[in-house]
Amino acid sequence: MAGNFWASSHYQQWVIDRQDLCRERQHDMKHLTEEEYQKVMILFANVIQALGEHLKFRQQVIATATVYFKRFYARNSLKCIDPWLMAPTCVFLASKVEEYGVLSNNRLITTCQNIVKNKFGHAFSGEYPYRIQHVMECEFYLLEMMDCCLIMYHPYRPLTKFCADIGSEMELLPVAWRMINDSLRTDIPLLYPPYLIALACLHLASIVKQKDIKTWCAELSVDNDKVMEITKTMVSLYEMWKIYDEKKEIQPILTKMPKPSPSRPPSETPTMQDANSQQQQQQQNQQLPSGGV
Amino acid sequence: MTVEGTARYEKIDFLGEGQFATVYKAKDVVTDNIVAVKKIKLGSRSEAADGINRTALREIKLLQELRHENIIGLLDVFGQKSNVSIVFDFMETDLEVVIRDTNIIMTAPHIKSYILQTLLGLEYLHVNWVLHRDMKPNNLLINEKGVLKIGDFGLARFYGSPSRPYSHQVVTRWYRCPELLFGARSYGDGVDIWAVGCIAAELLIRAPFLPGDTDLDQLNRIFQVLGTPTEADWPDMKCLPDYVTFKEFPRHPMKEIFTAASDDLLDVLDMTLAINPARRCSASQALQMSYFSSKPAPTPGSQLPFPKSNKIVDKEKEAKRLSLKRKQNGSDAGGMKKRLVF
Repeated sequence: MAGNFWASSHYQQWVIDRQDLCRERQHDMKHLTEEEYQKVMILFANVIQALGEHLKFRQQVIATATVYFKRFYARNSLKCIDPWLMAPTCVFLASKVEEYGVLSNNRLITTCQNIVKNKFGHAFSGEYPYRIQHVMECEFYLLEMMDCCLIMYHPYRPLTKFCADIGSEMELLPVAWRMINDSLRTDIPLLYPPYLIALACLHLASIVKQKDIKTWCAELSVDNDKVMEITKTMVSLYEMWKIYDEKKEIQPILTKMPKPSPSRPPSETPTMQDANSQQQQQQQNQQLPSGGV
Repeated sequence: MTVEGTARYEKIDFLGEGQFATVYKAKDVVTDNIVAVKKIKLGSRSEAADGINRTALREIKLLQELRHENIIGLLDVFGQKSNVSIVFDFMETDLEVVIRDTNIIMTAPHIKSYILQTLLGLEYLHVNWVLHRDMKPNNLLINEKGVLKIGDFGLARFYGSPSRPYSHQVVTRWYRCPELLFGARSYGDGVDIWAVGCIAAELLIRAPFLPGDTDLDQLNRIFQVLGTPTEADWPDMKCLPDYVTFKEFPRHPMKEIFTAASDDLLDVLDMTLAINPARRCSASQALQMSYFSSKPAPTPGSQLPFPKSNKIVDKEKEAKRLSLKRKQNGSDAGGMKKRLVF
């Protein structure tokens, strides 16, 4: 995406402080541990990735949709809007913003139904409940909650430039590229500007490929502490993945996840203003089985 | 609780209706400022099924990132049920009204001020890799301080990075450049610059410079005035998808067409209306031309003439407007009629 990153809404409004992020998540942390929360986020990043791939979207559109999802839940509890509805909504909005031609409504919902059934049966049992009118209503809340900040800068472009500069398009680029895809499973896109994410992934790729890029890195004038923070987060993601089996573990986590009140039909998804009154209702309803899981 | 959405804006007056939206003048009860509220139409059933209107989304996503004196300011976005409304700076009038107002005498410093403000806004857009794709006097809005702002970003998009081919059905026909008329699917800032050339010409003659009736007539008019390009003028022309051979017209010197214009303004017209897009100047290059540094100085905004009425009463013009709009509608639907081949 072109334009001036430093003057963008992405840089000025949507590079969030870690403390702020934790504070916003407090409510959900009463129900989930930090690691469980991350696993929920990984699940839905996977859902969005699968949706995007089935719809034959470019990675750019998928990445935008994934970050929209993260932005929404960075400011709202998981119970405000069911993430199973938010995921296709993010794909829907991103496809329009990134000017990806016209996506037929039927296709979005059908793809969603198929994916949920064939790929995420371990996380979702029963029929996918949402229809296009729910997506369109949800699109509105998404736009509003993001303060209409729709243009997103991704690490792919700086990465491509860095690799061209190093002269390692064949060796490092594909490895680092996939690591950027993986970074979408973490909070990294919310916490750091894309060029630092690109550098951290490049750094990791150089270790994997055992290619010495120290001289090139030495000439950079960037915040190396930040690059190291990103690298560490990536490493801990890979550590976790080694022992994590989503198919077995996600179900009990989703059961604990705070959910929208089942007494409300999805078309009456509350706005954030009445989140408080909803909270009380939620507590009363917590014992009841809810939406699909 | 803060006042938000519909409650925040008190409707004062109906301002106009376009293809996608209805615009109202309103008072922001929080700031007491006068604003323009553009209520996006839900449109047909098929459009309604597309969620938030794409045109509105383009305006929102781009204007959220752009801040410049000569670009319309996005103030707020709010929704009601499935309707989106966008709140903009309130603009008293637009350049089309100024040009058509026969009571206004347009002097050389006035013209310089309008062209300068337009180019400053456009330079900012292009520096940020945004193409406007619908530059025309009607979209150059003017506020009570005489500040001109580029508005209507419903067709705007990022350019410069390889992506899907662009549509060539952009820009209102009279301001559409030859490469678009020949069906180019990848193009650049030249499409906006050509339109600025047409607008500058219109300021001089106080009438649309090249009012074509069809796309072919548009090309015909362009070549009749500026000369049919030869292979040497524009070597790649023949590769464009909708290229057709035209009768060879000689070029009329700008001096003969615009007898009242100064030589340095004629240079600007020559550079902005270069038929070969590769030879057309950029907004920054145009701003460096001597026209903008030589005398007379551009009129300060506060001293620019102001139309008596914003309502366009000329019926003939209104009829033309409607027919133009119909044509645009037709092309937007993608249902272009098959082109005749000479």
